[in-house]
Amino acid sequence: MAFTRPRKSIAVCPRHSSQIDAFKEPPMNPVVLQADNITKKFPGVIALKAVGFDLRSGEIHGLSGENGAGKSTLIKLLSGIYPYGSYEGNFFIHGQVAKFRSLADAQNAGIAVIYQELALVNDMTVGENIFLGSEPRTARGLINWHKVYHEARLLLQKFKVNIDPGEPVAKLGMGQKQLVEIVKALSKNSNILVLDEPTAALAEHEVLILLDILRDLRSRGIASIYISHKLDEIFAVCDRITVLRDGASIATLDTKQTNKAEIIKHMVGREITDLFPRRRSKLGASTFEIENLSVADPHSGDCFLADINFSLRAGEVLGIGGLMGAGRTELLMHLFGAWGTRLSGSVHLKGRELRVWKPEEIIREGMVLVSEDRRRYGLILDKTIGFNLSLSSLAKLTTKRLIDQGLEFQKNNHFFQSLRVKAPTLEELVAKLSGGTQQKVVLGKALMTEPLVIFLDEPTRGIDVGAKLEIYEIINRLTDAGKAVLLVSSELPELIGMSDRIVILHEGRIGGEFNRDEATQENLLAAAMGQRRVILT
Amino acid sequence: MQSRRSFRDFSLVIALVVICAFFAIVSPQFLSARNLSLLTTELSITATLAIGMLLVILPGNIDLSAGSGVGLLGGIASVLVFEHKWPAPLAMGIALVAGVLIWSFMGNLIVRQKIPAFIITLGGLLIFKGLFWLVIHNSTIPIVQGGQANLYSVLTTFYLPPIVGYVLAALIVTALIFAKLRSRKARQGYGFAVEDRELVFLKLFLAAQLIFLFVVVTNKFHGVPLSAVILGLIAFAIYVLTTHTPFGRYLYAIGGNEEAAVISGIPVEKVVVASFSIMGAIVAITGFMQTAYSGASTTTVGDLMELDAIAACVIGGVSLRGGRGTVLGVLFGALIMASLLNGMTLLAVSPEFKFIARGAVLSLAVWMDVRLGR
Repeated sequence: MAFTRPRKSIAVCPRHSSQIDAFKEPPMNPVVLQADNITKKFPGVIALKAVGFDLRSGEIHGLSGENGAGKSTLIKLLSGIYPYGSYEGNFFIHGQVAKFRSLADAQNAGIAVIYQELALVNDMTVGENIFLGSEPRTARGLINWHKVYHEARLLLQKFKVNIDPGEPVAKLGMGQKQLVEIVKALSKNSNILVLDEPTAALAEHEVLILLDILRDLRSRGIASIYISHKLDEIFAVCDRITVLRDGASIATLDTKQTNKAEIIKHMVGREITDLFPRRRSKLGASTFEIENLSVADPHSGDCFLADINFSLRAGEVLGIGGLMGAGRTELLMHLFGAWGTRLSGSVHLKGRELRVWKPEEIIREGMVLVSEDRRRYGLILDKTIGFNLSLSSLAKLTTKRLIDQGLEFQKNNHFFQSLRVKAPTLEELVAKLSGGTQQKVVLGKALMTEPLVIFLDEPTRGIDVGAKLEIYEIINRLTDAGKAVLLVSSELPELIGMSDRIVILHEGRIGGEFNRDEATQENLLAAAMGQRRVILT
Repeated sequence: MQSRRSFRDFSLVIALVVICAFFAIVSPQFLSARNLSLLTTELSITATLAIGMLLVILPGNIDLSAGSGVGLLGGIASVLVFEHKWPAPLAMGIALVAGVLIWSFMGNLIVRQKIPAFIITLGGLLIFKGLFWLVIHNSTIPIVQGGQANLYSVLTTFYLPPIVGYVLAALIVTALIFAKLRSRKARQGYGFAVEDRELVFLKLFLAAQLIFLFVVVTNKFHGVPLSAVILGLIAFAIYVLTTHTPFGRYLYAIGGNEEAAVISGIPVEKVVVASFSIMGAIVAITGFMQTAYSGASTTTVGDLMELDAIAACVIGGVSLRGGRGTVLGVLFGALIMASLLNGMTLLAVSPEFKFIARGAVLSLAVWMDVRLGR
């Protein structure tokens, strides 16, 4: 995958015009997309203020910014969801003003957008999905299946994706689905690829594959816009980075000439010194113990988790790491009564064996789960913040079987304020909130049940740096108050930074346990890959 | 959201006014005290069933068996009264218990066997229809013994004395005013948005006027119908249930996002079964009123009533996917359906066109649900 490409440095943002002079390197690829002075207003809010940046062919351009900075709005304008005329300013595609009135217009102009939520039909094969809506026909107008699979195979080979076109999509992992989605988008001869948080659901090794493919596409002259909260990835793959803050483009920087601290400073408008402000809390007695737990997959009946042992003390954060599919989420869901069939083992809470199996009973015992997928398992989206906050605690908020609305308001308001939920009132609809704010609502709902043990599954997935810090601070306050936290995270720096102790799962078994001093990225990754002996030197 | 909802409410009022104005012009009798009293009874029957349907639809289910159930449970009570000479209250009690048991059984099938409500209740529609005809052996069973009135027969023929109607209206209006002012004050205390004073006054004034107008008009005939009182009690009970109890919140939560409801610790299965059990009781009560209104159990009692109830819900803003809908909306939807049916009967519209009109209104309502729903 060797290729030579002139390194370039350009800053369209006038504030940084001095940099243009500093790094003049003449041979630059042509601009394929230019956003000029884009302003988008919603009733009462200006979502984008005179945003400008340019995208060159054979470039991967990172787009960074906190949630609510305007990245999604920008993509919606670019992909035709908000039609031409609903915003001010212009997009130029190959120098021509783009006047998209629909998604199809943008597609025809060569723009392919890969969204966070994948748009594949699970019950169809890879080939069917790639040609969905544009199936090759026979002379009689029927679908030419031979051609579908033949061309799908060629496309997959062309982009070096090693997947059988006859495979049903349901059988693929998240990472493979993402790749199929990209191949599908590129099958329409797109030359501009927009990826919105493409790695949110991917494990580390899948991320590496994805990034390799993006580099390969770059060498073929395809221009990509890469949106991610993960700065590591942005720095690994992007040539330039444009930072948005509060709807304005703050800076466009050459990746080689900048660093993470500078990007974060631009994103939040202030310098953040400590990304993981974990305070050690005073450890209390052991509150939660798991012994020899083995669990079967409810569908296949196969043993999925085996011989899991660990314990958790009051005031402690136990991190759980592992690759995608190692069983982290399944473990939490099982402990919470929402997944799997117990084959053996026991769970003790405060020294007493737990013999309840339903989430409502487990919550009453003092355990609570904040799921990794807040939109699916966390929130009633078209209800208010207040409705969601008190949902798990209603039984405690009644007098004479009726909800005591004064008491409910007091409780809701307590968490609304102490978690600093960014919304005008408790009556705001949850669907309208940003990811980080939604996550706080899910957390508030869990905390209102007054738990002893809190399971946090990827609590900072898809939320911005500022909100992440607030979530970490909440974790600190919980352990200070003597709660025990089980933290599942795919991001190793977060896992290392926030845990007092780390258990790594590998294929449903414990691959290693580490205290704070032993927990380096290398050790954890080795354990996650099943090389437990190597690390104990 | 807010503006869209108010437009929706507004469109309902317009639809109602247009329908009533049309019938009033074409057939002056439509607005007579006698007909309005009849309309009230018909509304009570439709709306009672529709309110039960609301409980089933909120968590995302549906009940297609309600119409057959109306016939069956009414039929069981009639047979017990007429053929077995049981006292009416006991007969009705038995039918009510049967309703609760049958519906909770269906609810259990739905949640434990994970069979869609659509299929289970479609089966119920056919099975109950067959059972109904078996119970009444395809004949007409009167609901009274030897021409005397009993509790069963007076359901739709008893009227409150005029003075009682006025006192009741005054009590309701007073309670409304107190409740409204209290909740407004509480909301202000929480820092939530409240309606303008003028708007509150206007709404209360309008509501008071409508309530008194209703009593004045019905008093010009025989008085406030007992069926309206039954509807009022059930509507109030379900209103409190849906808005002021954990159970009600759970209904909305399950309809809004069932997986999130499970993880939030909501006993989803129990809640769904309970919603069906209450539906069973409401089907029984509707069955008694409908059978009493027909004068006897005949094979056609309850035909297609499930569809009128679903239509009333959808017209009243209930989302068929669950999670959205209110008692007040359903009452409005039922009023539109009842006015339409009553008006067409008054105009002696032939049954074929009545069917077509009902179907058109149902389709229109679903279309509106889709267009305005999100």
